[in-house]
Amino acid sequence: MTKLLEVEGLSKNFGGLQVSSDITMTLSAGDRCALIGPNGAGKTTFVNLVTGVIPPSAGTIRLDGRDITRLPAAERVRLGLIRSFQVARLFKSMTVREHLELAVLQRDRRTFRPFANVAKVAGLADEVAGLLDAMGLTHAAHTAVGSLAYGQQRLLEIALALAMKPKVLILDEPAAGVPHSESQRILDAIDRLPKDLAVLMIEHDMDLVFRFAKTIVVLAQGRLLCSGTAREIVADPRVREVYLGSRADAH
Amino acid sequence: MTSVAERDGKAGAVTRPAPLGRRRDLGWIGIPLVALAGLAAYWLLPDDLALLTRIAASALFVLSLDLVLGYGGIATLGQAAMFGTGAYAAGIVAVNWNNDPFVMLAAGGLAGGLIALATGALILHARGLTLLMLTIAVGQIVQEVANKARDWTGGSDGLSGIDPAPVLGLFRFDMFGRTSYLFALAVLVAGLLVARRIVRSPFGLACRGVKEDPLRISAIGGSPKSYLVALYGVAGVFAGVAGGLTAVTSGIVGLDSAGFPWSAEALVMLVLGGTGRLYGAVIGTAAFMGIHHILAASDPFHWMGFIGLFLIGIVLFLPGGIASGLERLGGLLRRPAGQGEGGA
Repeated sequence: MTKLLEVEGLSKNFGGLQVSSDITMTLSAGDRCALIGPNGAGKTTFVNLVTGVIPPSAGTIRLDGRDITRLPAAERVRLGLIRSFQVARLFKSMTVREHLELAVLQRDRRTFRPFANVAKVAGLADEVAGLLDAMGLTHAAHTAVGSLAYGQQRLLEIALALAMKPKVLILDEPAAGVPHSESQRILDAIDRLPKDLAVLMIEHDMDLVFRFAKTIVVLAQGRLLCSGTAREIVADPRVREVYLGSRADAH
Repeated sequence: MTSVAERDGKAGAVTRPAPLGRRRDLGWIGIPLVALAGLAAYWLLPDDLALLTRIAASALFVLSLDLVLGYGGIATLGQAAMFGTGAYAAGIVAVNWNNDPFVMLAAGGLAGGLIALATGALILHARGLTLLMLTIAVGQIVQEVANKARDWTGGSDGLSGIDPAPVLGLFRFDMFGRTSYLFALAVLVAGLLVARRIVRSPFGLACRGVKEDPLRISAIGGSPKSYLVALYGVAGVFAGVAGGLTAVTSGIVGLDSAGFPWSAEALVMLVLGGTGRLYGAVIGTAAFMGIHHILAASDPFHWMGFIGLFLIGIVLFLPGGIASGLERLGGLLRRPAGQGEGGA
């Protein structure tokens, strides 16, 4: 399997405070990996480091063999490292369709065309229709996002990420804020993602984690505690310890 | 494949595919309406052609402001910098080299676009109040440069002696201002058409995205600042052409064309008409300057007060501007007729 994302010795200090230290992990094509850890474990910092929102203090990040450690965030996006947001960040007054049109046009760098007509850009309508269908949003295509149900907004987040044709997709709590009864729809959508994509999901809801992930990586206090299959992680006493506190000491 | 068709069919049957993606203008009728109203005014108000000409040229300027504010979210009180630069460029070209009206407009647009690109690249990293201050500063600098360059601009006396050649070599600028008005109206309508094209383009879509959430644009791999600078430049061309148009139709360019009050007045007219619609700029300009004209003639002492009351009334009762009121009215009229626009 081709290694798509390789993170080596990634560390971040804020002054004397070490929020990420020496994290090493790889994602290969087709991986479905969940990143878990208690609050304050440094999950968000890790995502920000990988996506280029903040620069690392040490370590390297490679995307599809290319060193991207020093690249700005937008450049990483263009290379295929895409994230979705924990809180849906969408353009409130724009319709669902317009979101996807914009994402596809931006991906192909066809946005600096002041005299073209969006409705007539070759291939755009078909691709947008495909994305809408993949996420079950076809009937909502002309709805302004501000008046869309929250679960649908989450689906649109995933559709937007998908429109960027990612190699590596990082989903930051894709079901956050969605009622438990509806989270299945989000998971179904995630199941339909292209198989050759490497997906890393940050999630609190262990139910979702076990349904989604083939492998799990556990972070605690900025360090990589352990990684393995779901079965291995459940059995690992260290994981219980960080989640349940230090009661294990009583043994 | 069949399941897709089924699902679509079902969704279409259950929920009416209402085009909630609201039209940001009155569809195809907005611009023809402006042209028709403009021509009607030509026949109905033959004694007020000078005023109507000023309205048309000013509306093009306010339109340029709508492009940056309504479609890019750039708060500016310095749009007159581009207008003034365009007006002076057109005037200087006419006095020294070529007095063809189209050459003058091109010179104005070019100068306005270049100054907008140059200053935009410098100041558009800022947002909000900081940006507002910087745009004012740019306006002041342009005005001061025009003041100091007396040999070219006439300084505080203004640049006079602009005598444009007949339009297309056929239509002389007559003393009644008929040619002036029709020329200004034609340029305004052309400007509206081009602006409409731009806001519906991929570029316009991206600019609306930047207006709503610049960080989200970065997250899909775009550069918000480059969109804003490009939009500022495009709007600068519009403002410059408007300045050039004023030079063509009035024959004089003064320092006030780049001044802060003119920028602020444009903002008032835009908010009055309604932002983010294009034709709102025309409505706002016509309403403001028309009422200004009527009140100033009928009550020379208190007209400013009435203008103030009028503005307060609009802001209180029609927060989206006059255009939003018209749209609501249009919506009320259309709904009982039961006309469903094709959703997909």
